[in-house]
Amino acid sequence: MSNNIIEVKKPKEDLNYTSAKKPVHTPEGAEKPLPKVTIDGKQYEFKPGDTIMEVAERYKLHEEIPRYCYHPGMPVAGTCRMCTVEVEKAPKLMTSCSTPAGDGMVVHTRSEKVMKSRTGVMDMLLTNHPLDCPVCDKAGECKLQDYNFEYGPSSSNFKEEKRVYDEATTKKLSDKITLNMNRCVHCERCVRFTDEVTKTNDLVMVNRGWHKELDVTDERGLFNDYQGCLTDFCPVGALTLNDFRFQKRAWFLDKKASICDRCSKGCNIEVHSDKDIVYRYIPIHNEMVNGHWMCDEGRVSYNDLMNPMRVISPLLNHNQTLTSTSIETLVSEVKKAVQSAGSVQLVVGTDATREEANLLKEKSSAAFGKPVTVNYHSGFVTSSKDDKKLDNLLRMADKTPNTRGVEDEGLSALANGEVNADIAILFRNGRAGIPKMSANQKVVLWGVWTFDEIKALPTKNIIGVIPGLATIEKEGSFKNADGIVQKFHAAIIHRGGALSAHHVVGVMTANK
Amino acid sequence: MKYNNEHFEEVITPNVDKAGCETLDFYLKNENGYKALEKALKMKPAEVVDEVKKSNLRGRGGAGFPTGMKWSFMPANPVDANGNPKPKYLVCNADEGEPGTFKDRLIFTKTPHRMIEGMIIAGHAIASNKGFIYIRGEWFLEARLMQKAIDDAYKAGYLGKNILGSGFDYDLVIYKGAGAYICGEETALLNSLEGKRGEPRLKPPFPAQVGAYGMPSCVNNVETFAAVPYIIDKGWEKYAKMGTERSGGTRLLGVSGHVNKPGVYELPMNLSLLEVIEVAGGVKGGKLKAVIPGGASAPMLTAAECGVLTDYDSLAKAGTMAGSGGVIVMNDTVNIVEATYTLLKFYEHESCGQCSQCREGSHWLARMFKRILDGGGTQDDLDYIAKICGNMAGQTICAFADAVTGPALSSVRKFRAEFDEMILKGGLKGVGREESISHKMVGAHV
Repeated sequence: MSNNIIEVKKPKEDLNYTSAKKPVHTPEGAEKPLPKVTIDGKQYEFKPGDTIMEVAERYKLHEEIPRYCYHPGMPVAGTCRMCTVEVEKAPKLMTSCSTPAGDGMVVHTRSEKVMKSRTGVMDMLLTNHPLDCPVCDKAGECKLQDYNFEYGPSSSNFKEEKRVYDEATTKKLSDKITLNMNRCVHCERCVRFTDEVTKTNDLVMVNRGWHKELDVTDERGLFNDYQGCLTDFCPVGALTLNDFRFQKRAWFLDKKASICDRCSKGCNIEVHSDKDIVYRYIPIHNEMVNGHWMCDEGRVSYNDLMNPMRVISPLLNHNQTLTSTSIETLVSEVKKAVQSAGSVQLVVGTDATREEANLLKEKSSAAFGKPVTVNYHSGFVTSSKDDKKLDNLLRMADKTPNTRGVEDEGLSALANGEVNADIAILFRNGRAGIPKMSANQKVVLWGVWTFDEIKALPTKNIIGVIPGLATIEKEGSFKNADGIVQKFHAAIIHRGGALSAHHVVGVMTANK
Repeated sequence: MKYNNEHFEEVITPNVDKAGCETLDFYLKNENGYKALEKALKMKPAEVVDEVKKSNLRGRGGAGFPTGMKWSFMPANPVDANGNPKPKYLVCNADEGEPGTFKDRLIFTKTPHRMIEGMIIAGHAIASNKGFIYIRGEWFLEARLMQKAIDDAYKAGYLGKNILGSGFDYDLVIYKGAGAYICGEETALLNSLEGKRGEPRLKPPFPAQVGAYGMPSCVNNVETFAAVPYIIDKGWEKYAKMGTERSGGTRLLGVSGHVNKPGVYELPMNLSLLEVIEVAGGVKGGKLKAVIPGGASAPMLTAAECGVLTDYDSLAKAGTMAGSGGVIVMNDTVNIVEATYTLLKFYEHESCGQCSQCREGSHWLARMFKRILDGGGTQDDLDYIAKICGNMAGQTICAFADAVTGPALSSVRKFRAEFDEMILKGGLKGVGREESISHKMVGAHV
């Protein structure tokens, strides 16, 4: 099977968490010419019902229309007044996020009047902003900074005392989120997110006008499972993720796309790293998979890979002690043990990529020089049929990313989730569950393991540990719960001694 | 020929000075009560709308939108996505919160049945079977009186099923707000009515399409409804003739401030502001300095400008607005900076906080005025006030931002000398004035 084939299938059910963006060209309307709107002197086709903002977004106009309250995944509020544009024949400036485009409408997004209005909004928003950029985590990716650079006044006449929320300057909304209300620009994206996307209603604005303050509705604080998203779309540093808070300045981060392997949804993520140390994951918009969001569990799952207890060099059991060794020695010792054993079982975790599963299925008997039974094991579901949604958004019951992809290879599930051969080779990437086994089961561990996991194994009969690459360190593809195959490349370079499965199989085959 | 207007007669307030005028008995016996309803129910809804259209009745809430036209915007047979008919709602805006305005209160306490009758007629005209009366939170007594009037009307068969044997059903419900000024804005009122935050909605869709509870709704002021029975009873011509070419009837003006006889006066619109002040007993304790002609949101007029007529178009031409009919008269003992600060403090407190410019700007203006009063002002501030106002006016969802800029901008433009003096002499104390108690309270809610 070729690695380059990417199947794309549309999920049947309506993804209610994503914006209602429609494709521009519809087959049924092909004979009828689409209406056209003129934006900054150029004509663009659009589908009736599109707002000016949506047309501009779709065609990726040279300059983004600035926005604070507008977010494509949420209902329109139209309150920040930053996205106003000039529509010819309209008496006032119109908010592009809420004004539907009309046939023959002429829009200016950067006219003098518009720029003046934007400068006015920036002037207002900055009056009470603390301007604590040097200690703010958002600095570098802050919309207030960006738009002020582009539109803002270079100085302010605000001589009054700034608004200070004494109790909300550093307020823990939950163990994941910290609020600094002084920085807030009151766009209320966060409130609309909990109202309309997670539907948990755990955030609310209290008080009115200038004293408006963000607060939680429940005494236990924020309780939705997507709190990290609040920090993604917070245009300023008001809501920050504790996990990332004070860890790294945004401009040092390398940004590479990958896939989250924390569940079978396969959310599209951007891995933010510096010198190949991962600092955070943020979601990338993918209409068919995750919309604009990702869950907190997935968001902090990079910690497992950055775990100092992770095994990153080949280990051989030498007198009941796991000892660091070379991959060649380890492979030859493992092969020796395997070839002298009666029966050998290879258990592929469903967190293996499709390519790894295929490789192990096709090549393992040849590599070990002995017939090997290959099964798969998820640890969360027995097969992809048992997988189910945990909420109305993204989270899935199967916490491994590729159950469907491994099944496609024609492997069968591990019976009762228990290994029953003389030697069991456990291949997993740190996500799949560990099969049940007897107390004296001989095992070879392969893939992403931590010493904690190894210590917790029921057996002490470990032949060796072959360290493998984690998802973001390698390339491959996953087939997610909706049947969408997603290919990914390495987002960071692994700096330890872990090796790709292909490499290890190559060493095994070469070792006669 | 009262008020130099041969057609004038009191439409709403002929008997408000009589004892027991708020009762149903009085209304039926002395004021031809509910006769207009009888007449209207025999007419077709479209005819009622036409009658009101021709009478040139304009909304008395502040914007002065033609009432008949507003009613005609209501869809005839609205249906939901499944094709089921949608109900239509009529909403009475009794959230009279504009500083200086107290005319609707008079109707509530003295002649509530006139308004109820007007609402039933309006309900018939737009084919709605349910009306809400949104009463501002502070009106405890008024809400009780109105509830009693509604109960009486139910008992007498003017509300409920099959009114006067016509087959038309109508129900009226009182809803008490929580005392936010912004809930007088019609879409904020609808949000508040639904139990949400009282924040104005983005328009379009307008309430005539998506209003209360997502249904087509029509929102009118108390005084507007109270004028309807007269129009139906006496005919549109009589009502239209009283007014000017483009706005018919009379207006209730609540005259307050430095006049000898403050109160609510029902007056024709061919009177100038000066004449209105004369009716209210003339300026008290000094010479006339400034007048706010239509509630706090209307830009101020100087004494020299007060010859302007009180109809909608003349006031608009004079750069201010008829607004809600709250005429605030200030004599020359008033310091304009101080007076404007009092208004701005109100707006700072009442901005809903949705739109960036209004939330921050209303606060900024109030603080700036306070600083000028405290002696920290500079000439730059006066230029900057105009700049802030320019950033606010017309840039937000509702007209609140424009309302803030009304007093702020007009006071600086028209009474610049007073600002200059205040700045030069170092604030209130410098010009020899004591800080008023209300200013000392600043910070209590900030």
